[in-house]
Amino acid sequence: MAYSDKVLDHYSNPRNVGTLDRTDPRVGTGMVGAPECGDVMRLQIKVNEETGIIEDARFKTFGCGSAIASSSLATEWVKGKTLDEALAIRNIDIVNELSLPPVKIHCSVLAEDAIKAAIEDYKKKRQQQKG
Amino acid sequence: MDTPDYFQFFGLERKLALDTADLEDRFHKLSRQLHPDRYARATPAERERALEASAVLNDAYRTLRDPVARAEYVLKQQGTTPSKAAPPQELLDEVFELNMALEELRGGDDSVRPQLEAARDRFLALRREADAALENLFRAHDESGPDSVFADLRALLDRRKYIDNLIQQVESELSR
Repeated sequence: MAYSDKVLDHYSNPRNVGTLDRTDPRVGTGMVGAPECGDVMRLQIKVNEETGIIEDARFKTFGCGSAIASSSLATEWVKGKTLDEALAIRNIDIVNELSLPPVKIHCSVLAEDAIKAAIEDYKKKRQQQKG
Repeated sequence: MDTPDYFQFFGLERKLALDTADLEDRFHKLSRQLHPDRYARATPAERERALEASAVLNDAYRTLRDPVARAEYVLKQQGTTPSKAAPPQELLDEVFELNMALEELRGGDDSVRPQLEAARDRFLALRREADAALENLFRAHDESGPDSVFADLRALLDRRKYIDNLIQQVESELSR
């Protein structure tokens, strides 16, 4: 199957690959996966507690090119956004941006789920801190 | 023609822990009954029906003889498909770590070969454990009814799928 240029670009030069400290209270970690294709995706955000803006994002994905490109794009998009703005990102936006074919739409769903899981993890941590 | 229930097709009860030798016997018997030679003098409609039944027979046999395909079949009939269920967090963490370990070894020179082989043996052991756990769930399903095990079965099949995937990756790495 042919990948679009944008997928190939993210696949060969993935943005923001790496790890943030999971124990840092400002860091939210989202881990999601799709068993049928063996994909696992970890997306992390670091939130500025004063402004509520996502200052940094990292990902690490084991999976196909589309899964890697989707999560790479997701980290680019969430940076500089508030949590609510990041929650508004829809998988269809990723599909359109990367011209993903129908069989790869689930990769974009995974990326959206990863953003949501990371934000949820961050919020849960904040809640626990407040006691 | 509607696809009949595979268990009914073989005249079997809906048991997950089925006797594969018995299944094979039933398969051979039905294969002989449906063999085209027996329909040499039959009407075209009868021949057509026998041919369709043969196709179902082969699909049903392939599905039921393999424990994983059998369990997936029962879950699918129940309406749980693999893509719908979110895998548990512990599983994702575990699979992520296993992938990380594999990635560190990948693309290395020949010196990492023993480590790759060790990783493969570990994954194979994990799959054997999963298969043993599967048998236990099969028995629980047959004794206590389907509802008690469907969630566990789904989670275990997902886990096994991930392990399978890792085994394929490490084997392709070893065969380079």
